[in-house]
Amino acid sequence: MQALNRTLLWNIAFRSFFLQASWNYHGMMNMGFLYALKPGLDKIYIEASDRQEAYKRHLEYFNTNPYFASTIMGVILNLEERFQKGEIGEDIIRDTKEGLMTAFAAIGDGLFWDSWRPFVAALALLLAFENFLITPILFLILYNIPHLILRFKGINLGYKMGTDVIHILPRFQIQRVREGLRYATLTLLCFLIPNYVNLHTPFLISHRLNEFFFFLEKIVQGIGASLAVALVSIAYHAKIDVLMISFLLMVSALLLHHWEILI
Amino acid sequence: MIEITNIALLVALIGGFVDLDSTATWQFMISQPIVAAPLTGVFLGFALGEILPGLRVGLMIGTILQLVWIEQLPMGMNVPPDAALASVLSVALGFSAGHMSDSYVIREVCNTVALLIAVALGLVGRSIDIWIRKLNTSIEKWVTRKIEGDQVFALAVGHVAGGTLTFSKAFVFCFVVTFFGVEPLRAFIQSLNFDQSTGFIVIQGLLPVIGFSVLASKCLQTKLELKFFIGGIVFFTILPALSWAAILLAGIIGWKLSGKAHAGS
Repeated sequence: MQALNRTLLWNIAFRSFFLQASWNYHGMMNMGFLYALKPGLDKIYIEASDRQEAYKRHLEYFNTNPYFASTIMGVILNLEERFQKGEIGEDIIRDTKEGLMTAFAAIGDGLFWDSWRPFVAALALLLAFENFLITPILFLILYNIPHLILRFKGINLGYKMGTDVIHILPRFQIQRVREGLRYATLTLLCFLIPNYVNLHTPFLISHRLNEFFFFLEKIVQGIGASLAVALVSIAYHAKIDVLMISFLLMVSALLLHHWEILI
Repeated sequence: MIEITNIALLVALIGGFVDLDSTATWQFMISQPIVAAPLTGVFLGFALGEILPGLRVGLMIGTILQLVWIEQLPMGMNVPPDAALASVLSVALGFSAGHMSDSYVIREVCNTVALLIAVALGLVGRSIDIWIRKLNTSIEKWVTRKIEGDQVFALAVGHVAGGTLTFSKAFVFCFVVTFFGVEPLRAFIQSLNFDQSTGFIVIQGLLPVIGFSVLASKCLQTKLELKFFIGGIVFFTILPALSWAAILLAGIIGWKLSGKAHAGS
């Protein structure tokens, strides 16, 4: 019989929203982790001295992907309960916490920061360029569906399954999801590049190509945008800082405008 | 003077709230430029009686800033430039300085120059953020000492103090920049001639290139993918710009190719 009910677990998941409020260079998310976990520890340990030891244990270094933190909290509460019953040793809790935070940092950062956020951002950018005014709301809703599911479902799964939670990860086919998101983002980019980089040259106007004006302008824009993207990508691969690239792009734009190549 | 004080206070409140989301709390991505900038535009537009123009300016600035900062990730020890503050301040400066002008060019130049200033402010924001994290480190040492001495109340105090510092930093920074920044920006824009002004509009049109390039560099992994990518650009250059078709195609390609990659692995 597990001691923590769903309401308490959701309270902890809610407190995990504030995980990084006191992020610091020594323990990173340690204070946030203990702050979120505290109601669970208070329930598990009746003896003040045991509770005190648990607080100290979880004030140690902690850093992971914030969206997966509640899952780790669930697992840790499961282990704390077993430790309180004398089923496992303290070192199991420490080792599991360290292992999970490293694994979930890699999985979470790759999934959310490297794949999900760029895809949702590219989709939102497309809608924003189309002047779709509710784009920010759509971005928030779409982005947060997996985030919120993970926060609240993760803690329940972690608490119920304990360390076995790691075995159900393959079921989510995270690598496959990441690949799919990468290809989808690239497809959106293929559309965004020729359509939303604004490059206008006076050449088409001065040569009076009225009947094909819009088509030719789109071709010129497509070629110009592709060239610009290629140049910036080369600079990015050459490890030039993005802000330096932005600055060079601005200077180039002003010069091209001054020489009446771009209007 | 009263108007600018009120505007600066409003911007400071939005900045404080939005900046909390960037790392300290929630992480719903309200702090992403595509959300933070339109949000600022709506509130500022409401205060100045121009909600829709405010939202449009916010969306335009947010779109470009989202692309400029697209590679900045809060992973591990990395403290990215403060995109949230940059978004809030660029809309605050650009919209406040330009909204009264009848000229489209002046309004657009206000937005573009504010956007460029905000990129630099994002870097200042990062420096302040690093300083706040160092302060948090001192707080953490204090909390550890207190907990070892059985004074558990220190945990909540220390944790809340961290969040409060983040909010206060953003509040003060946004207030100061808005209060002192709008008039000099307006004066600078008025000093530009027509040719210089339109030059800034050309910059605005080209800025998305940065984000597109960074995103493409991160996503492309093989030469074959690069060939298909170029083919895709040609395809969408020739075809009419149908955004729904692009979304549909992205969905199909993402679904189909992920399955193939999975089967291959």
